[in-house]
Parts: sequence; structure tokens; C-alpha cells
Amino acid sequence: MGRPEPHTASRRKHPRRRQVALGMVAVIASSLLAACGGGDSGKPTLTWYINPDPTAPGGFKGAFGQAGIAERCSTDEYTVETELLPQSATEQRIQLLRRLAAEDTSIDLMSLDPVFTAEFADAGYLAPVPANASEGVLQGAVEGASWDGKLVAAPLWANTQVLWYRKSLAEAANLDMTQPVTWDQIIDAAVENKGTVGVQANKYEGYVVWINALITSAGGAIITETDKGADADVGVDSEAGTVAAGIVEKLANSSAAQADLSVSNEGTVIPYLGEKASDPGGFMVNWTFIYATFKGGDEAVFKDLGWARYPQSVEGKESRPPIGGINIGVSAFSENSDLATQAVECITSEENQVTYAIETGNMPASEAAYDDEALKKQFPTDLLELFRESIETAGPRPPSPYWNTVVSAVLSKWHPPSEVDEKTTPEETATFINAVLDGDALV
Amino acid sequence: MATGAVTAPRPQASDRARRAATERSRGENRLGWKLVAPAVVMMLLVTAYPMFRALYLSLYKYRLTAPEDREFVGLNNYLAVLTDSLWWIDVGNTVFIMVVTVAVELVIGFAFAMVMHRLIFARGIVRTSILIPYGIITVVSAFAWQFAFSLNNGFVNGWLPLVGDDFNWFGSKWPALFAICVSEIWKTTPFMSLLLLAGLSQISEDMLEAAKVDGATWWQRLWKVIIPNMRAAIMVAVLFRALDAFRIFDNIYVMTRGAQGTESASFLTYRQVIEQFELGIGSALSVLLFLSVMLIAFLLVKLFKVDLAAARQEG
Amino acid sequence: MRTKVGQGIGLVLILLWCLFPVAWILSLSFKSVEEAAAGSPQFLPKDPTLDTYQVVLQDADFQRALINSFGISLIATTLSVILATLAAYAIARLDFTGKRVVLSIALAIAMFPVVSLVGPLFDQWRVLGLFDTWPGLIIPYMSFTLPLAIWTLSAFFREIPWEMEQAAQVDGATAWQAFRKVIVPLAAPGVFTAAILTFFFAWNDFVFGISLTSTTDARPVPAQLAFFVGPDQFNAPTSTLAAASMMVTVPIIIIVLLFQRKIVAGLTSGAVKG
Repeated sequence: MGRPEPHTASRRKHPRRRQVALGMVAVIASSLLAACGGGDSGKPTLTWYINPDPTAPGGFKGAFGQAGIAERCSTDEYTVETELLPQSATEQRIQLLRRLAAEDTSIDLMSLDPVFTAEFADAGYLAPVPANASEGVLQGAVEGASWDGKLVAAPLWANTQVLWYRKSLAEAANLDMTQPVTWDQIIDAAVENKGTVGVQANKYEGYVVWINALITSAGGAIITETDKGADADVGVDSEAGTVAAGIVEKLANSSAAQADLSVSNEGTVIPYLGEKASDPGGFMVNWTFIYATFKGGDEAVFKDLGWARYPQSVEGKESRPPIGGINIGVSAFSENSDLATQAVECITSEENQVTYAIETGNMPASEAAYDDEALKKQFPTDLLELFRESIETAGPRPPSPYWNTVVSAVLSKWHPPSEVDEKTTPEETATFINAVLDGDALV
Repeated sequence: MATGAVTAPRPQASDRARRAATERSRGENRLGWKLVAPAVVMMLLVTAYPMFRALYLSLYKYRLTAPEDREFVGLNNYLAVLTDSLWWIDVGNTVFIMVVTVAVELVIGFAFAMVMHRLIFARGIVRTSILIPYGIITVVSAFAWQFAFSLNNGFVNGWLPLVGDDFNWFGSKWPALFAICVSEIWKTTPFMSLLLLAGLSQISEDMLEAAKVDGATWWQRLWKVIIPNMRAAIMVAVLFRALDAFRIFDNIYVMTRGAQGTESASFLTYRQVIEQFELGIGSALSVLLFLSVMLIAFLLVKLFKVDLAAARQEG
Repeated sequence: MRTKVGQGIGLVLILLWCLFPVAWILSLSFKSVEEAAAGSPQFLPKDPTLDTYQVVLQDADFQRALINSFGISLIATTLSVILATLAAYAIARLDFTGKRVVLSIALAIAMFPVVSLVGPLFDQWRVLGLFDTWPGLIIPYMSFTLPLAIWTLSAFFREIPWEMEQAAQVDGATAWQAFRKVIVPLAAPGVFTAAILTFFFAWNDFVFGISLTSTTDARPVPAQLAFFVGPDQFNAPTSTLAAASMMVTVPIIIIVLLFQRKIVAGLTSGAVKG
């Protein structure tokens, strides 16, 4: 409500300023005044910066997703309002960090991707969250919201990737999908049956999600001892790194690779799973929202849609699926941090997590929410169980304040996927990450 | 103003008039500076001061989100950048884009200018439509061409005979650079052609007529009369467009985000400063970018001057 | 006859060059979001719809961006043209030392790599509280449009027969009357042209727009387009984006239609006479 004022004010004053030679000064002054006088009378407004939710389905009434939570969490004491961030996680991080670096008081609450939660906490931009916020939260989600041994943001929902596939294709390839499968198996199965294996390999954070999962599933880590900041240990140049590079190399150079592999993301891989039942389809690793997407699509394809645990990098070694989601952080510069902390409790309540999951297909971070009857009605029991288990055993991306730098460094050596070489890429990456963290190389 | 007008035929008058003249010129000087001062201050405020600040910051290792770790590193940032292959690759891309786009624009723009110059009908329509690419937001142009080249939603693959329908233009470096150049060329050729048109209209018809009478072919007239006489216009057009192209950013941001090695020097700087918050090394890049532009401007001016002088001697 | 045919071909080629990509965005904007999401590589929409425009019109963030862009560009243009008029008058009419210095500064700034400024400017703006505000964009827009405005205006001003002012004064008009009745009408077209070119520059800016803003408080249209959020969480909605692009292109087309003569004169004025 208070937001449009600076603009109208500066525009209203515009004609008068025309005559003043140094009108610029007036513009600054008027806008600053308007900005300072923005406080509403009485009830404070908490501004919550949210990442975009999927669009509400047709016929949905009222506020949807996080906007709905904001409405339900507004009380007599304060109003929670949402402000939309850009689409990509990278861009969300930039927008938020820039504001926080400017010590902007207009942010009270923010939806944070787990991968940059550590960076925000380390820079001192996050105010403490309620002490009990980690109670009953799935382990994977807690890890993604902690830094320096402390919970720094409250998990709202947890995302994970599973293997989505077309049952008919798996059948034709004689793959027993009740047992864990490996990347080798699904790539071969797809090649034999003219299908594809969908992964995210554009030059963006999502590709590192895949690489990280491949490496952690093989028992390694891109970096460790991240609490040392720029002096963290780099672990790509290991057996696990070689295994991961081998899988990328194999897929990228096989006919199972999708034509737009090097620019693929979570959205572009969907049509490859088949728009009609006669398409060969294939496999794809993707987040939980896929179920809702296909449920609304072609019926025959939906019937043929299967799901399984994230593929193994090494046969017999349990996979460590990717984990994502959103944590709610309170800004250290908020003028209403007490109220904001109060609001966090409401926002991340089990009830809201369940409603949010039903609306958007984004899974709860709270363990108990998975037993909710309403949620069980919405998703098949085995799928819910798969999600829960996947989140619990996930291999998170290492929480590091330098994660973004590491991501850029990894991307510059692993992209495009067709140029990954298991013999050289891991070693080059390790050297490069070290150089970049030391400030000796550009990324 | 009136002082100069009142002149009496007295001996001392010339002396007084001279004094009045110097006073007047002093007054004019003062007024002149008063009038240009706001504009000059404004221009320097946002450029000179930040540039000095960049110079200062470039001597530090300084990450915005880790301010305590800030330390003085001398010229290390410059060393890191100048010994880094990424910087040279990006500078290479930028120069490539600059040379290719300006060369293509010069040719197409010249052809357009010739057509517009000779055109006796529909002048208004042509002028209006040629201003549309000029006025369109670069981001919009980038989107239009990105979608056109897109694997899923673009018509280019379907229309081009030798390109497969599943060819991914943004999947590797050169095709992606090609797409970027197309968008850049499309948007800025009109500007080039209008500048050239203005130069073209300054050539006297008599000279062309004379050349024609002398039996010069169309080709000879083009190279011997038209182009040499348009040197100034061509120089201005090339100088402006080259420096503009060297700063290429919008198209790359929208179309590839620098993926597949299509990053420009500007984009690299932006990423260091704005995405990674590395103010130290980012400032070093800013300074180097600034110096590169100055160098190119210097080289172009030098090159054209030599050419111009040579032309004058010939003529 | 032959030249006429040649001209006709040239004309068609120019029109195709200029308008074809615009037609492409227009066509894209009529494709439904579903059609574009499923992959729609043909030029024309299979089933034209206006839904995309409805979505864009209802997009509150896009509306804010439009208001921001118009407001910021207009204020920057006005201020820039006022300062440039003063400076151009001095350059065209007065003889003062350092004229060349001023022109060189303007030239240097016109060539300035703007990206090299966003770092220090961002750092400065966040300290001054100008980050993500209108003035935070107005100031750099002014600085970077001033060279263009000064050039265009001084080229125009050089052409004005200033003796007429004195003539009017001799005829009994006061200095102010002479200025208003004689000089203003003569200078107005130049000022107007400079304003259009300045506005285009500010309207087109992307670098400052994404670097010095972070919310809809000040984010201009080009930046908002780059951050466009659609129903697919991961990909920008092609056809909706096309509709939004069309909507920001229409004002440009209108301005161009109305003022093409002036714009061309302004663009080429400084260039030829050097």
C-alpha cells in the first residue's frame, strides 16, 4: 500500500521543478522524503519476497501458493504482503543480496533457496529464526537451512528429484524398476528404444544440481569443509568426480541425449517424456512438480508415467538425490523483526505446508505433514513415500558462502556437457575452483 | 551587447573599444562556462568519480558479502585478469562481434542509403520503417531473434534449407555468436544507413554528372567519387557503431547469458561485479574495459586521420 | 524504367528488413501459451488468441515497470534537455575558452563503456540510498544522454539566424519578447528532436536498469522483460513475452510515425557537420 508513493510524489512535483535549473537535487530530495515517509499509520506491513509459484489452476479462487499463505498469516497485529522475485534462483539471489547489501529495511521476510542460505547467513543478513523451527523437519531440509551448526532459516517446503519414466519404455528395455537402477542402465535402455534421458544441463545452477548428485551418489563431494569459506577443500578431482564426468560424457555423446541438451532445464525436458502415448518417451530426472504437470496432461501418457528413486552413479551404492526447496529467512535489517519471526512460525506451520503442497505440488519439509490425509488424497502413497525418503537421504549441495562462485567455476569446465571428459575434466575443475577461490582466476 | 555598437570617431575610442572587447569576451567566457557547467558537472559526476573509485577498489581483494576479508593486493587483480584466458577469450569475442557487425552494417547500411537517396516515392514510409528497428528496445530485438532461432518455437530451422529442424543454434559457440550478431545487425543497421544517407546527400550531383560525362562506369563512380566524398560520414558512422558494438551486453544477456563461450568483455565485468559481488577484481575489469574502449577509439581516430590526410594529398 | 524497378526492389527489401522481425513478434504474441510451450516452430499461430495480451495487461509488475519506464525516461529527458539547451546555446553562440574541452568530454562520455560504471555506481548508490529508486536511474540516464542532446542541439542552434533576435530588439521588442517570439519558435524543433532521441536512449537502457534496481519500485521495462515470470516455473513464457514486447514497441512506432522527419534530422545533424 505504501509502495507507490515515492513515484507519484516525484511525478507530481515534476512540472514545478521545470523552472529550477538544478532540478535534479529536488528529484533526489523529494524521492528521499517520500521514501522515508512511507510508514503506514498503525498496523505494520511485513514484506515477504517470494520466488514465483506455479500458476494457479483455472477455477482456483482466492490467493494461491505463497500469496495465500501470506493472506492466512496476516493478523490483527500486522499484514504480510508478498513481492515477487525473478524466475531463476541465481537471479533471486542477486536481487535479494543487492538489497541486503544496501541494508534496505524494506525486506522483512524472504524465500531463500537452500543453496544461498549459507551465503546470506555468513554475510550477517539473516536475523535468528524461532528456536523450534527445526523440530520435526526432514533431515535434508534442515541441512539446507543451517550454517555454522545453527538453523538460520525456517524450511517451508522441500524439493527433491526422482527418476520419472515411461513404464512402456522401461518394460520394452526389460528394466526392473522396482529395484534401484543406474545411470548406465537407463542411458542404454533409452538408446536401444529410441528414447531420451532428460537432465538439466544448461549453463545454470540446475546443471550443478545434477553434477552434485552424480558426485555425492558416488561417495564424493564437490567441496568440503565449507566453513573455511574461500579456503574450503575441493574434492572434485576424485574417483567420484571421474564417475560423474563419465556419466555426463556417456549421456552427452549418446543418442539418448536430447537435441537441446546444452540449454535444457526443468521445463524443456518435459515434452521429451512424450506428449502422446505413441511417443517413445524415455527417462528424466526432475523435481516433484512433474506429477501435477502430467496429471493435467494427456491421460494415456499420465497412466504410463512411472517414478523411481534417483539413479545410482555406482551400481549398488545408494543414490543421494538432489534436494531443493525454500527456506524462510528474516532480514537482519527488518524494522519489525520480532513480528517477522512470529510470522515465520505461521508461514511454516504444518497446516500451511500441507495446503501449499496440495496447491503447488511442492512437498512439505515437515515430516508429519506427509501423513496428512488431505495430502495423501492428492498423491499416490508410494510417490509420497518416495519423496519423503528421497528428501531424507538427499545429498545436499555443500552449504558455502562461496557456493555461487563454485557453481560458476564448475559450469565453466563442465559446460557444454558434450565436452566433458572423464580423464581431464575433474582434475581441471579442481585446479580451477582453487584458483578462483584464491582470486587468481576469473570465472 | 550595446557597447560594441556605440562607436565614436575619437582617437581614444579604439583603445576603449579594445578594452570593451576584452571585457566582453571575458563576460562571454564567464557566461559560457556558467551555461555549460551544469551539464559538465552532471556528465562527470556519474563517470569520472565512479571511475576513480573503480581505480581505487581495483587494488583490493573485496567481496561485498565478505567485507571483513577485504585486503590490499596492489596490482594483483590486474595481473589475474590479464593472465586469464577467459578475459582474452571474451575480448576476442567482443572484437569479433564488433568487426563482423560493423562490416556487415556498413555494406547493408550503404546499400539502404543508396536506395533511400535515389527513392522518389514512398520516402515517408521507408523513413518511418527504418526508424522502427532503431527505436525498438534492444532486449525486445534480442527476444525476437532468440525465439526465431529457437529449436522449439522458431521458424529459422524450418526455413533454412541446409539446417536440420533440430539444430540448436544456442548449443555451440559460433552459431550462437551468429544469432547474436544477427540481432545486433538488425537493430543498428538503420542508424548506420541514416548517417550514410546524410553523407550521401552532401555529394554534389554536378560532380557525379561530370564523372558520368567522362565515361566513368557506375562502379568507378562509386569508388572514385561517392565513397571518397563520403569519408567523413563513413568515419563518424563506423566510429560510433564500433564503439557501441564493443560495449555489447543486452543481446548476450538475453540470448545466451554468456553460455557456450559467447561472453563479451562487458558481460564478464557485469558478472563479476553484479552477480558475484567481487568488487575488487570487477573494478579492475571495469578499468580495463574503459582502457580498451579508449584504445579502440584512439586507433580508429588515428586510422581515419591517416586515411583522411592521404586522401587529401591524393585529391 | 529500370531504375524504378530497382528502386521498387530496394524498397521492398528495406521494408522486409525493418518490419519482418516486428511481424514475427506480433505473430508470436497471438500464439497461445500452450501452443508455444508445446513447441510451435511455424511462423503463424495455429489458433490466434488475444489471451496473452490480457495476461500482460493484468500483470501488476509489468504495469509498474511501464510506469517506471515512462516516468524515469520522461524526467531524465526533461532534465537532460534543459541542461543540454543551456550548454548547446553556449557552444553554438558564445565564444569561450574550453569549448573544445566540453565537446571532448561529451564525446568521451558518449563512448563510455557503461558496464564499467555499474560496479562503483552500485556501491555508491547503496550508501547514498539511491539504489532501486527513480533518481538512482534518472541521474545516470541524464549523464549519458547529455552528449547526444548537446550535439543535436548545438547543431540545430548553429543554424538559427540569431541576428533576427537583434532585429526584433531593434524593432522595439524587449529582450525577453525577442527571445520568446523569435528564438523559441526557431529552437523548439531542435529541442523537441533532442528530447525524442534522449527518450529513446533512456527507454532502451538495460544495463543500469538491471544493475541499479531490484524491485518493481524502480525496475524499468527492459529489465522487467528479462525477468518475466510465466506459468512454467523454469522458462519464460514465449508468447506472453512477445505480447509484452509488442506493447512496449507500440509507443515507439507511434513516436516514429509522428516524428520521423525530426528524428532523422536529429540523428544525422551532428554527424555530418562534425
